[in-house]
Amino acid sequence: MSEIVVLPPPRLGPPPAPRVPHPARWTMANGLRIVSAPRHGVPQVVLRLVLPAGSAADPAPYAGAASLVGHLVAEGTATLAAEELHARLDLLGAAVHPHVGHDFAEIELVLLSETLREGVGLLAEMAMRPSFPEHETERIRAESLDALVARHDEPANVADDRAALEVFGPDHPYGIPSFGTEAGIREVPREALIAFHAARYRPGGSFLVAAGEFDPAELREALDAAFASWSGDAEPTAYPPAPPLGGEERMVFVPWEESAQSEIRIAGQGLARTDPDWIRAGVTNFLLGGSTITGRLGANLREDKGWTYGARSLFSAGVVPGGWVAETAVDVGVTRDAVNEMMREIRRLAEEPVDEAELRRAKDALMLSLPRMFETPAGVASRLATVEAYGLPHEWWDRFPDAVEAVTTEDVGRMARRHFDPQRLVRVVVGGWR
Amino acid sequence: MTDTTEATTALRLPVRTHTLANGMRIVCHEDRAAPIVAVHLMYRVGSRHETPGRTGLAHLLEHLMFEGSLHAPKGQFDDLLERVGGTNNGSTWLDRTNYFETVPSHAVELPLWLERDRMAFFLPVLTSEMLEVQRGVVMNERRQAYENRPYGMADERLHQMLFGDAHPYSWPTIGYMADLERITLDDARGFYSTYYTPGNAVLVFAGDISADEAAALAERYFGDLPHGPPIPPFTPPADPAPAAAVSREAMGDDVSFPRVYQAWAVPGYGTREWVALDVLAYLLADGDSSRLQRALIREGRLSQDVDTYLYPTALCGVWGIVTTARTGIAPERLEAAIRRVLDDVVANGVTDDEVLGAARRVRRDQVGDLATVEERAESLAYAATVLGEPEALERVLETYGEVTPDEVRRAAARWLDAGRGATLVVVPAEGASQDGEAGDE
Repeated sequence: MSEIVVLPPPRLGPPPAPRVPHPARWTMANGLRIVSAPRHGVPQVVLRLVLPAGSAADPAPYAGAASLVGHLVAEGTATLAAEELHARLDLLGAAVHPHVGHDFAEIELVLLSETLREGVGLLAEMAMRPSFPEHETERIRAESLDALVARHDEPANVADDRAALEVFGPDHPYGIPSFGTEAGIREVPREALIAFHAARYRPGGSFLVAAGEFDPAELREALDAAFASWSGDAEPTAYPPAPPLGGEERMVFVPWEESAQSEIRIAGQGLARTDPDWIRAGVTNFLLGGSTITGRLGANLREDKGWTYGARSLFSAGVVPGGWVAETAVDVGVTRDAVNEMMREIRRLAEEPVDEAELRRAKDALMLSLPRMFETPAGVASRLATVEAYGLPHEWWDRFPDAVEAVTTEDVGRMARRHFDPQRLVRVVVGGWR
Repeated sequence: MTDTTEATTALRLPVRTHTLANGMRIVCHEDRAAPIVAVHLMYRVGSRHETPGRTGLAHLLEHLMFEGSLHAPKGQFDDLLERVGGTNNGSTWLDRTNYFETVPSHAVELPLWLERDRMAFFLPVLTSEMLEVQRGVVMNERRQAYENRPYGMADERLHQMLFGDAHPYSWPTIGYMADLERITLDDARGFYSTYYTPGNAVLVFAGDISADEAAALAERYFGDLPHGPPIPPFTPPADPAPAAAVSREAMGDDVSFPRVYQAWAVPGYGTREWVALDVLAYLLADGDSSRLQRALIREGRLSQDVDTYLYPTALCGVWGIVTTARTGIAPERLEAAIRRVLDDVVANGVTDDEVLGAARRVRRDQVGDLATVEERAESLAYAATVLGEPEALERVLETYGEVTPDEVRRAAARWLDAGRGATLVVVPAEGASQDGEAGDE
């Protein structure tokens, strides 16, 4: 190999200025907020209608009502039977993705640009006038119950669900999955679904993000035509306080026979998406497990030990403080060692000051990845929806680099002590304990 | 009804190509929409180039390639790219192995420098310690993604059934556990030296860069590397689309619902029949009004889900259906319902509207997939690797707008015959073996 010249590492010029979209925003007479971010290049439009109708608003005792409603909007309306609605969407080449999270319900419609007008009409039809046909309601109910059973065939899901339950308890919406519980899904009457829709699928409190290739004037016209007759405000959702964590270090073990791996979750409470510490906490988390390979957890468990395919940690966004979890799956035989190593990394971040170089690296990684986050219509829609959903300042993404830059090593220690306190974390293992 | 009735024009992916003196092919697709560049290096080698007894070698080598090279030691590859805001990964499949980075445009030279180093200076750092750690990671990847996952072993068995043990598409890219244990340092060295050469690679730039700049950078970072030894000839199996070696089998797994997997070997990626079969896949199961969605889910109420797929692979394509039974439904009923739908397509054909809608849904997904420069680079690299030139991608995309209902019917009749397909039924079995042994039928 000696004949091949060794080139010096390249010297890089200054990074490109981020091009963060500055969407047009307006509010329709009925209160529906619109965020419009047109950009040419990809002949696609992503529409995301976001409603304050997530599982946090599930009517007691019917956990799962919000999820059923979210999926039934695509199963027939006052003017279009289910088959007719499906045939129209399919002929347009549209894709409908209903999604119900803890805080919000969303109807996402992905369209080819040339079908914008028809697509907006069908989106409005689904949001405003679902008919909840008996036949389809019972089918979706049965499918949801089957999906719940199938979900528990997978140890990773069992670990996720158990960790959330341990951290938030059964009385907090974040403690149970957003798709609900078996009893809730089984027992919720169709009338309760209709009532839920009537109370929460309202323009006041909801918003629509459009991103991709479209004519803004055409979008406005189409929205005015399709949504004009919609009215009213969504009922507010009350969130109970999360249970206090603390005291003894907790460990929950769920044996899983013949498991090839153990699923490990180390979980605690995080912070609301609007918390002024969100970015400081995010940078701190990035150091620990923001990347499955280069974070401290991945570097230790995967790169150094070869125990796992990856390890990572993350904060979940929430209207109220959400969760934080460090997660991995390891060879059963090293389960105990892996939990200990993860706890060691978690403690180390709280107890030993991080050095400037490591923090510099994390900041650069986060700041300079900004251009990638706005590359596609789906990416743009997602980032703008976050700003709108949580009521963040409109300049959030413009300010993002400076906010990251401002994070100090002291901030990291403070965040780690606040969120990664071993006494307020629960360890969940699904698999073997060796 | 809709205002638009045409299956709109194909996507345009303009490229400029040239070949370096050492045989490495260079492709540039300029698109200034975002200040980022995707760099995609694809080697024409995949799991099909392995030999039985050493399966998983191509993928294990891909893992080793991230463990450092002489001037960018362990940890630096991910670290250097992440700290400039870039992302990177690699993947191994049946026909190819790829390495790709997406970076803000100021940092485009960094992935080139790193790829050069591991194309030229990888062997000096390849050690048995490195092999052992990555062997462990890959074994955990196999456990996590296959063995410890419900239905995780189905695809592996389905492909064995469809192709028989000798066909190079019969084994999984992750490899068999016993083979992973067997792979030696010499195996890894030999595989690298044989296939990881400029003459066996295509390098694609996509994004915020001009073709001239890309050409100059390619010359600077790769122009002086030697071509490498000639690639050993690959003898494709005599019949690219054999009749299934085993036509039906049941396998026990620790799951709650039976799931039916069916697959057929069909013509390879890029052929007109392949495109017709892709339209058929969308026509049958993508969208709630599609025939399998109606027969199995909405009207039939037999299944929880149904999906069809078509592999864009070179030796032949693989066309498949996967569907999961609802509570109390026997898998045989799903199989019978699928057969009725396929027989009806063959006997009575499909409609213009069905083909139009399916072609639009394909295009919707293609537009979505090709929205990122990373995906564009990969698709162009794949066309160059499997179809011979990146420009072939546009021709494949155009063909979707030309496929007729009769072509769809004929492709179904010719290729999706009951006797040529493999059916694997995964059935619930308490404490089922995790290593994929077949259960009782």
